[in-house]
Amino acid sequence: MRNGFIFNHTRCVNCNACSAACILENGWTVHPRNIFTYNSEAENVLPVINLSLACNHCESAVCMNGCPASAFYRESVTGAVIIDENKCIGCRYCQWNCPYDAPKFDSGKRTISKCHLCYSGLIEGRQPACSTACPTGALTFGQLSDTDFGSVYSWFPDKKLNPAIEFTSNKYYTPLVVIPKEIPRPADVKQNKKGKNISGELSLIIFSFLATISVATIISSFIGGVFPDRSIFISVLVIAGIVSFFHLGRILRSWRSVINLRNSPLSREIAAFIVYAGVSSVTVILRIPVLLIASSIIGLIFLLLIDNVYIYTDRKKTVILHSGQTFISALIIVSFISGIVLPFVFMALIKLVSIFYRLLVNKLNNSDITLRFLRTVFLVVPGMSLILHNSNPDIFIIIIFLIGELIDRILFYIDFNPLNINTLIDEQLNLDRNEKKRD
Amino acid sequence: MRILPYSGNLATPEGPCIKGLSYIERTHSPERIIHPKIKTASGKFEEISIDEALDLIGNRLGAIKEKWGSHSILWYRGSGMSGLTNEIGNSFWKAFGGTTLTYGNLCWPAGLEAVRLTLGSVKHNVPWDLENAKTIIIWGKNPAETNIQEISFIARAKEKGCTIIVIDPLRTLTADKADMLFRPRPGTDGALALALARILIDNDLIDYEFIAKNVMGFDELRQSLHISPAEAELITGIPVENIIELARIIGTNGPLTILPGYGLQRHQNGGQTIRSVLLLSVLTGNIGKSGSGFNYANLQSYIYDDVKEPLSYFADSEKDMPFRRTISMAKLGSDMLKTKDPELKAVWIERGNPLLQSPDTNSVKKAFSSLTFKVVVEQFMTDTAADADIILPAKDMFEQSDIIGSYWSPYIQFKPKVIQSPGEVMPESEIYYHLAKRLNMDVSQEMIPEPGNNNIEQWLENRIKGYSEITLDNLRMAPVLAPGLQQIAWEDLKFNTPSGKIELFSHEAKMKWGISPLADYTGINHSKEDKKYPLVFLTPNTGSRIHSQFGNLKIIKETNPEPYIRISPVDAISRSLIDGQKIRVFNQIGELKSRVKITNRVLPGLVVFPNGIWFNEGGGVNQLISGQETDIGFGAAFHDNRVEIEGVD
Repeated sequence: MRNGFIFNHTRCVNCNACSAACILENGWTVHPRNIFTYNSEAENVLPVINLSLACNHCESAVCMNGCPASAFYRESVTGAVIIDENKCIGCRYCQWNCPYDAPKFDSGKRTISKCHLCYSGLIEGRQPACSTACPTGALTFGQLSDTDFGSVYSWFPDKKLNPAIEFTSNKYYTPLVVIPKEIPRPADVKQNKKGKNISGELSLIIFSFLATISVATIISSFIGGVFPDRSIFISVLVIAGIVSFFHLGRILRSWRSVINLRNSPLSREIAAFIVYAGVSSVTVILRIPVLLIASSIIGLIFLLLIDNVYIYTDRKKTVILHSGQTFISALIIVSFISGIVLPFVFMALIKLVSIFYRLLVNKLNNSDITLRFLRTVFLVVPGMSLILHNSNPDIFIIIIFLIGELIDRILFYIDFNPLNINTLIDEQLNLDRNEKKRD
Repeated sequence: MRILPYSGNLATPEGPCIKGLSYIERTHSPERIIHPKIKTASGKFEEISIDEALDLIGNRLGAIKEKWGSHSILWYRGSGMSGLTNEIGNSFWKAFGGTTLTYGNLCWPAGLEAVRLTLGSVKHNVPWDLENAKTIIIWGKNPAETNIQEISFIARAKEKGCTIIVIDPLRTLTADKADMLFRPRPGTDGALALALARILIDNDLIDYEFIAKNVMGFDELRQSLHISPAEAELITGIPVENIIELARIIGTNGPLTILPGYGLQRHQNGGQTIRSVLLLSVLTGNIGKSGSGFNYANLQSYIYDDVKEPLSYFADSEKDMPFRRTISMAKLGSDMLKTKDPELKAVWIERGNPLLQSPDTNSVKKAFSSLTFKVVVEQFMTDTAADADIILPAKDMFEQSDIIGSYWSPYIQFKPKVIQSPGEVMPESEIYYHLAKRLNMDVSQEMIPEPGNNNIEQWLENRIKGYSEITLDNLRMAPVLAPGLQQIAWEDLKFNTPSGKIELFSHEAKMKWGISPLADYTGINHSKEDKKYPLVFLTPNTGSRIHSQFGNLKIIKETNPEPYIRISPVDAISRSLIDGQKIRVFNQIGELKSRVKITNRVLPGLVVFPNGIWFNEGGGVNQLISGQETDIGFGAAFHDNRVEIEGVD
């Protein structure tokens, strides 16, 4: 039988003793255990549900599989998923992959820290600090029987990972009756609304966009038979390399990023970048025409592997067939620069469909809509000019077109929303709120 | 260092609360004061040695006593860890010649007195009996934040099918766990209770046999109940049909335990409110039985007190000698300024933070600034410590042995010394020992033991003589249930009132306090000035603090979001306030600024901001609270103030 956390939400009153005990026992500077609350401000006659959560030490540990540096391991006696902070490179990919918000980035150590189940004590027969401290008996640790997630946890993510947690509360749960009947929270309460902040993703935007440009240049060279300028081409690769290098928490350990080729899409992407950068540099510097085809193929594989880094972690399918993916972006740039109209029109149509689809399904704020409008204009206007003139466009039009592609890449990161308990709770609350209003 | 639960203690078998856990940091905090400090002419503190500090204090106290008399010194003390060693300070100041003291209490005396007048003493069933209740009414109490150990017993009761009802203007974290939440307007609980009592009587939902045998004043009460359900709806905001429904549950779904809080008695009508709510337990015969009761406080473990609360709060000019008790806790500042013959010249403060926590901050500041000498015994640089002339570092709870009781748990416990104090920290008992030497005072070992923990334990051993089951050795093994404990309070149906019965009609209430001998309801009386402000200001406690304690610790700051002023969406919209913006709360006596949270947890018309937040964190609710006493017991009516709010950015 498997051991794990057993949680009874009807006893949890959000006191945070579990979280504090965890920190006091282990001296963390981050908070491996947190209480997640559905409807913390008790809106609109909806229940308030607490969930104390750290790492669930999943059977399918996506954090571990996705880690490019193989910094995670499973402790054999307790089954705990543990990160070796001496191996972590601080790329934070596990934070995208884990839907439970368990890996925490320690900005002092510049590596990830997470719950280790107090495993050394557990082996000696002591319970984890959090469940020991719980003053109400809501959080306990022991043998799991049936992992029934129950209806109150409709927002509990990704049960397929087989997390080691069990909920025991449903039979006691009754919704609260409030007297006098509550006035639903008016819709016009002003809130500080902030759009998604993508400044943390800046280095990734630069890296992936430069990679797209580089590969598009190589393919265009192959089609047009004209080699690109050596110094510009090499500079682009060097900048892309440096940017991705410096976004790691632990630069000196960056060599570890390619040691999990077998499981980690990120390892594969990094390895592909190294191979592509090597082959394409030789091709361009020595101007070897036969190597252009090899560089083009390696480049396209590299871009597919970039896209795969996001597809792997995007279990909610937020960026499936996104117009900002690098592969399609590189192809449309090639067809535009080379003036190949039919493929261009085909791919532009795919992109437009993708853009309008997102306008329809996503809840967007005003700045998003402006960006998406610009993006459309920067695709349609240069596209029309290409179709009408039916010749290679001039440099000004190309720059407009490329800015459009850059915006598309930025939109990709705005739309990219890996499965995460925080956003799931917000989304569920929004859904239930609207349903209540209809009642 | 670890703090672990002890399952042998039936009252607290689970883990400690977050405050208990945070003692690990509190003891070792780098911000802790571990050397005496003296305020220099520039207003800054400098460290001095403990010997220098004691010399200086000895000289000053001697001089002040000689010039103005010992009553020119105010000895202000809080409860601290409520251990027996608290008495040692008393012995010192008594031998010193007496001082001026406070009477009353900021916390809970109106309710204590209400229970004492009605039932003769203040006690309740053991905490673990709660799970035998069929209905639990949590009335104005928020155990999820202020008595978390009780949550397990409430949860166990619920798991056995008990109905959990919360009555509170706030939707607290406790209410989230309940079946029903009734939200009356603040200060109107008494009207709700009296209306419920009338419905119970009119519908024969009362226990006639119990009343006939055990209750005095039922007929007078019946004739006095004039609040109809319709009137109660007007006063409380609870619809008639829901009041009737609640009465039906109270009258038919026993055993019933009521868990009243202390918030609902921090009003001008607080004592009468508690008497009114207590009626419901009495009329339905829910006293003296398992699963039933009125759990205001359980003082059964306070076996060593000569005079129990609330009587110990009341001034008695003969018994108090050589002390004089002339200053109301609720009106500390204005009473200090009024004191004559002699005027107050100095204050000694231990286990308290009156500058932040007493009502009417302005008057307290004014009174303190008129003094010539202020000594504060403290662990951290609190707002009161920062105002001192000399700060003496105070012990932590692990640094001296003591024996403690509880006003909820029925155990008597030994609290051993487990670590050595850092720096020059000295327990109060030793501070007083050295001061007595310096002042050539004649004190015995019995009054003030010699320094050293062995001597304190010897002192404790002598102090607890008289109960054979309580020895230090027994206590060292495990907590001991208080001798003579009634697990089911009043199961013998003997009441220590003048009539020997439960007194719904109390002559003593009339004689002592000038209130009606029967429970009645009077609305909150607001001054003309007050009425200009539309919102009611509530300053409850929160789970992460005990009043002004713990909030300064890192672990508390990290696990708790910054404190917000909470208001309802309705009041936010009418003032165009945005969630999270900075706002100003103000009334005729003061103002404060902090961030706002717009939440359905708060009823329209209320502004809610916790007490105990330090001035430098944007707190200090008492700047807006006037010094008023409760109707009985000399409590403080914290919750009767009105305010207005506006955005500042």
